[in-house]
Amino acid sequence: MRVIGALIIREMHTRFGRQKFGYLWLFFEPLLLGVMIAVIHNLRGTESIRSNFEFFAIGYILFFKFRGIVNRASSTISSNRGLLYHRQVTLPDLFYARHIIESIACTGVMAVFTIAGVAMGGEFPDSVVKMLSAMMLMFLFAQGLALVVGAATSEWEGLERLVHAMSYLMLPFSGLFFMVEWLPAWMQEVVLWVPTVHIFELLRDGQFGDMYRPIYDLSYVFGWILVSHLIGLTGLRLARNRLGLE
Amino acid sequence: MSLDLVDVYKSYPMNVGRKHVLRGVTGSFRKGERVGILGRNGTGKSTLVRILGGIEAPTQGTIRRSMSVSWPIGMAAGFQSALSGADNSRFIARIYGKKATETVEFVESFAELGEYLNMPVGTYSSGMRSRLGLAISLAVEFDCFLVDEALAVGDTKFGRAFAARLQRAGLILVTHQPSLVRQLCTRAAVLDQGTLTFYEDIDEALATYNSL
Repeated sequence: MRVIGALIIREMHTRFGRQKFGYLWLFFEPLLLGVMIAVIHNLRGTESIRSNFEFFAIGYILFFKFRGIVNRASSTISSNRGLLYHRQVTLPDLFYARHIIESIACTGVMAVFTIAGVAMGGEFPDSVVKMLSAMMLMFLFAQGLALVVGAATSEWEGLERLVHAMSYLMLPFSGLFFMVEWLPAWMQEVVLWVPTVHIFELLRDGQFGDMYRPIYDLSYVFGWILVSHLIGLTGLRLARNRLGLE
Repeated sequence: MSLDLVDVYKSYPMNVGRKHVLRGVTGSFRKGERVGILGRNGTGKSTLVRILGGIEAPTQGTIRRSMSVSWPIGMAAGFQSALSGADNSRFIARIYGKKATETVEFVESFAELGEYLNMPVGTYSSGMRSRLGLAISLAVEFDCFLVDEALAVGDTKFGRAFAARLQRAGLILVTHQPSLVRQLCTRAAVLDQGTLTFYEDIDEALATYNSL
């Protein structure tokens, strides 16, 4: 824990410089993207800006967190290689520190968005606990994938591009743009193979309560989390032994 | 309290086959001992240092560490070059469980970096880097300092202060400079052909090394 704490402080310094303003950027980036996507949907759609904002902007933060964690995974080892001179610093620590920063930031932004939604005349979320659980599950799922990606890219660098491409291509299937109940039956079966769909359904359950009929199976998500962590941590252990230091 | 290596092997994968760097290294370093390890270029000094420091695992063999051993202190090691010397000091202090502010104060008074303490480590000369590394490691107070080459501190105020501090601490110095070993160590070993041979008598070790 001591090492992860030190890594978090260090990561904040390198990522945002030593200016105090730098920390704000962490909040500003998802905020800007979230508002933009809500506005675009409002221009095209017929629904009011408020429900669009709640559905898409808040949902986008969840995807933003997933992408932020997984896409950074391939650079985590290479950009921290010097720190491995201290034997306390383990490879998983480097990942945990980054993921915690990303998660705290996204949870903060989500809180700001939710309060803004209420201030604009929306209803208070049905279950804050469910929303936070969705954030937590997304954190763990993305972390498992990031560990796998980190281990794999330390062996095969070319994979990095593939991971970036995949994370964008995943957007339409992630569960951000739809509720499962809106889809025809055959499509429901297909999308429910995607773990993030379940997490998005849980988020919407927390946000809207009885407004939609969410469909999710959390044990399926936990299975993914468990397996990806096992593969990722094993992979990193192998990678550590093969890693040369200058 | 000691650092023990028992029959340690280390090899790296090459395009064809493997490169065997260490072939059965055995040795014991007790607390407070000052040991010099001499090796010519390409004999695996850096590999041995990384294994002693616990940052690389041996391919085969065991390492037992029952005293605190520093990270390998040398030219490049262990810094984030985009961060300042003070930030690096704070980070290292935190991971070793020391108070960040006290460590920075110590480094400030000891390393003679002046204004550079708040500049990125990337702008440092190699001498400044090694002073920073040594100063931080002194602040953490290890039982044993693991030093890789760069001890080019000479007869400066820093050099004398450092040598004085070392009189009270253990040291493993891995180098190709016999003069440093004579100056700082009480026991010496020679690394050659992947094995380590210890000599109780420094002159004997130096004579063997010079004949290689």
